[in-house]
Amino acid sequence: MGAVTEQPDASWLTAATVMVVAGKGGVGSSTVAAAAAVAAAREGADVIFVAVDGRPGMGTLLGGREISDREQTVQRMKGGGKIRARSIPAEQAFGDYLELKGVGGLLRRAASSASLPMIAAATPGLEHLLVLGKVKEMEKEAEADLIVVDAPPAGHAAPFLRSAIGLSDVVKSGPILDQATEVSEMLADPTRCRAMLVGLPEETPITEMIELANDLGDDLSIDLLPLVVNGCWPDRPGLAKSPAMAARSHKLKLTDSAKAALESAASFGRSRLAQQREQIARLESQRSEPVITLPRLATPRLDSDDLVTLADALIGAEFDEDMT
Amino acid sequence: MSRSEKRTPEEDQLASLTHVVKSSELILTCGPGGVGKTTTAAALGVAAARAGRRTVVVTVDPARRLADALGLDEGAASDQPHQVKGVTKRATDGELWALMLDAEQTFDRLVREQAGSRKQADAVLNNPVYKAISGSLSGAQEYMAVERLHQLHASGEWDLVIVDTPPSRHAIDLLEAPDRLVGFLSHPVYRTLTVGQRTFAKITDAASSMFLWAVKRLAGPQIVEDTVQFFRSLATIEGGLRDRAREVSALLRGDDTSFVVVSSPRAEAVSEAEHLLDAINDKSFPLGGLVVNLIHPEPTELSEADEQLLADLGDGPLAEQLAWHRELQSLAVAERLEIASLEKLAGAAPVIELPLLDVDIHDVPGLVGLADRLV
Repeated sequence: MGAVTEQPDASWLTAATVMVVAGKGGVGSSTVAAAAAVAAAREGADVIFVAVDGRPGMGTLLGGREISDREQTVQRMKGGGKIRARSIPAEQAFGDYLELKGVGGLLRRAASSASLPMIAAATPGLEHLLVLGKVKEMEKEAEADLIVVDAPPAGHAAPFLRSAIGLSDVVKSGPILDQATEVSEMLADPTRCRAMLVGLPEETPITEMIELANDLGDDLSIDLLPLVVNGCWPDRPGLAKSPAMAARSHKLKLTDSAKAALESAASFGRSRLAQQREQIARLESQRSEPVITLPRLATPRLDSDDLVTLADALIGAEFDEDMT
Repeated sequence: MSRSEKRTPEEDQLASLTHVVKSSELILTCGPGGVGKTTTAAALGVAAARAGRRTVVVTVDPARRLADALGLDEGAASDQPHQVKGVTKRATDGELWALMLDAEQTFDRLVREQAGSRKQADAVLNNPVYKAISGSLSGAQEYMAVERLHQLHASGEWDLVIVDTPPSRHAIDLLEAPDRLVGFLSHPVYRTLTVGQRTFAKITDAASSMFLWAVKRLAGPQIVEDTVQFFRSLATIEGGLRDRAREVSALLRGDDTSFVVVSSPRAEAVSEAEHLLDAINDKSFPLGGLVVNLIHPEPTELSEADEQLLADLGDGPLAEQLAWHRELQSLAVAERLEIASLEKLAGAAPVIELPLLDVDIHDVPGLVGLADRLV
């Protein structure tokens, strides 16, 4: 299933310094972003996880405290790799930006959080641009080997990334235009930035993933990493048989109650697996990027062990065995 | 669902959205992304139409196939109500109409309505800053969703208006959108910028001149002129906007309004839905019901004797079947714990549980089937 590598290979994770992870709401893109951070850090990389629109609980899932605008080290790996995590509030990004431009205290006061909404209203997309601008500074200063950006969810990922381009329509000169230009350059340079899109193996999420891939990959010319289909049930060929038939291979005869109980789960499993195969095939037929499938974990509440499982699957380590 | 089997008929009535669909004038569906909010809104619309009501559903960013099912193609006219065919058959049935929210057109309509003259309206509408922000002003989409609701409600053409709220990790934004607009209009910098007819050069108020200087330094001089002009022209319609924001805020808390929270049993959705339910309680918005969607089926339990029979299986298809049974069962049990924590927050409001379906709902018969489960 999918273009799964034979040997675990984590090198693609750090092919570009900035990895923007995006998906529609509810597909688990924050979790996949966190798993990517874990997978890269295990290989010795120094990783910064940037939560743009921080969903609560991500900091603890990564092994630290709740993510805030203060950078914290959430996990240290044996091989020397580590994960730092932070959010980038637009206000703070703005302050840092002014500092960087050497603009004096007067401007800082004018741009204090009280009037930021006004300035943001006057320059649409500014908040997004400031956040991306901060990421760009981090990349330029080589603050980490990998900067994982957990992009805003739902319909907001494309506008988030498009902010830099959109701004140049309104803003014709000045530092904001410079910033927009520099961010656009970073986004379009595959050695500096790539995007990882996340979806689920169901009809609507796959359709939306294809649309997002067309949007970012083709229209915005952002280089795409493998497409990640999250929440895939491991293939279990044994489910294709009826419980009675399956029992025969074990030289067992089932009671009617056992048959009924097993069938109540198997029938659901068969139809989910059929749908999953169909949707992944559709994704593969419509996009040329490789497809990585991540396992559906049988829990509604993920913990850090689950993150390790997902990290393994992301680099093709363990999930394959399950799939054969 | 096993829960409903234990319910008496009276409880069943309670545990459905029948009352909400029959008596509300406004319904807002809200919740985290990816849980079937739009589909639920459309199905509530079907249920209402079949209960004899003339209903319009306002959708935001529907999945393409659902949009097709509702007759909403990508044409510009999707901003206006279209009748959805094939929903109503009996003479006692009402009608179902649908439209897609277009934040910019809604904003334009609001400006035209509130402006004293066509000239005033054009001054705002043609300003480059207005053109840029009407679609992207942070929170604009949320505010426009409630504004559209107000427009439709006030038109008197509809028995029921259903609004599917924009996908937002912070669905609370929607509830606070009108108050935020009032806050924006009351901002001291905005106030000085819009008072009197002074030109930009003459603005002496410290905060405002600093604000403009900041914008000029950062984004160039042209945008400063446009910004000042924009705020000035907005001032002519400000009173209207302010009144409207207050009206909308009151409407959202009115007796004829119901909020329906939609969630899935996955932890990240549940924590967002809990946050939303808390906010609805805190701010005394009327909660009409809670829909928990995409629930995995709970397989029939294996008896103890059967468990023993299956205790020491070697590898093979039956072992796979057993492993799958256990996995699905533990997931189903864990999901039910998540649902229980949501239900507590729903208080007296009805809670509807809906299973994860094999295929997504993308046509009218599918919506009719869902409507029957909701009411």
